Amino acid sequence: MTQYMKVPVERIAVIIGPGGKTKRDIEKRIKTEFTVDSSNGNIEFPEGGDPIQKMRTVDVLKAIGRGFSPEKAITLFDDEMLMLDIIDLSESTSTQKEQKRIKGRIIGRGGKTREIMEKLIGVHISVYGKTVSFIGTPEQNQIVRTAIDMLINGVNHGTVYNYLEKKHQDIMKRQIQDTYRNIEFVDDEKEDEDTQDDDGVQEDVNDTQESIDDMQEDIDN
Amino acid sequence: MSSEMKWAVANIKSSYNNTIVTITDLSGAETIAKSSGGMIVKASRDESSPYTAMQMANRLAEQLKEKGITGVHFKVRAPGGNKHKNPGPGAQATIRAFARAGIRIGRIEDVTPIPHDGTRPRGGKHKS
Repeated sequence: MTQYMKVPVERIAVIIGPGGKTKRDIEKRIKTEFTVDSSNGNIEFPEGGDPIQKMRTVDVLKAIGRGFSPEKAITLFDDEMLMLDIIDLSESTSTQKEQKRIKGRIIGRGGKTREIMEKLIGVHISVYGKTVSFIGTPEQNQIVRTAIDMLINGVNHGTVYNYLEKKHQDIMKRQIQDTYRNIEFVDDEKEDEDTQDDDGVQEDVNDTQESIDDMQEDIDN
Repeated sequence: MSSEMKWAVANIKSSYNNTIVTITDLSGAETIAKSSGGMIVKASRDESSPYTAMQMANRLAEQLKEKGITGVHFKVRAPGGNKHKNPGPGAQATIRAFARAGIRIGRIEDVTPIPHDGTRPRGGKHKS
C-alpha cells in the first residue's frame, strides 16, 4: 500500500535540503525512499519498509511542513517519547486579522513569550501559517497546549508566565525524583549481589517509593 | 508472508483521555481481544498515558499469541468529528509495544472520521 501525505509547497525545499541532503538523511534512517512532487507538495511512500519508522517519518515531515527546521524535526527519530502536537488557529479565530493578533500573542515581543515557553518546559515551538506546533513529551505538550489555549483566550501574559513557572518547578522536582530513584535501583542491585542487609535495603526502597508517591500527589494537587 | 501467518486488525481509538484497543479478525466483525486504559490503571488521568498503552499492548500481545495470531494491521483513530483530529499519546506507544512483544506489524492506517463540515464545535468562548 502506498501512503500519501501533503506538505505546503514552500516547505518542499526544506525537506529536500541543499543538494538533497536532508531527504537522503531521512531516507537512510527509514531505509526506504520516498518521492516528493514539487508542483503540489504530495509525498509518496512506496510499499515496504519498516511500518513503524514510516509512521515516524510522517511525523517528521509533518513537523518540517509546519515550520520546524530539519534538525529539530529529526529529534523525533532520536527519542521515541517525543511527540508532535499541532494546534489549528483557524478553528478558534474568525478573521485573518484576529489570527495574526493571536499569533503575535503566542510569539511575544521579539519572540519573548515563545522563548519562555521553550526554555521553561523544554519543548520546541513553531508558529507557522495558521498553526502552532510543538515537539515534546506528552506531559510537556499537555502543559504547552494549556498555556497556548490560555493565550488564545486572552489571558494576560503575566498569568501565563506564572503558570509556566509553576509547571517548570514541578518538572524539576520530578527530574530530581527520577534520578534519586535510579540511584536507589543501582544500590539495590549492588546489595543483592552481596546478599547482605537485605531487609534494610528493602525498607529504604519502600520509603523512597512512599515519598515519591507523596510528592506525586502534591504535584497533582 | 507464509501461509502460517494469521492476521488480525487492531482498532485503536486514542484520545487525550483514554486509549481503547479492540482486536478483531480481518473483517472487523469478530472481536478477538480488547483492552482499555481503565483496565490497567485506576487514576483517570493516567488512562491515556503512553506507559499505560504499552502495558495494554503487552497484555494483548500475550492473548494474541495464545490464540495463534502472529501479525496485526492497525487502524488508528482520534476522536475526530468536531473534536481533536490527531491521535493522542497512546497510539504510537501501542504500536511500538506490539512490535517489541514480537507481533508482526502490517499496515498502519489512520481512520479518524473527518467531517465534510459537520456540526458546530462546542465551547463558544473563543470567538470575538
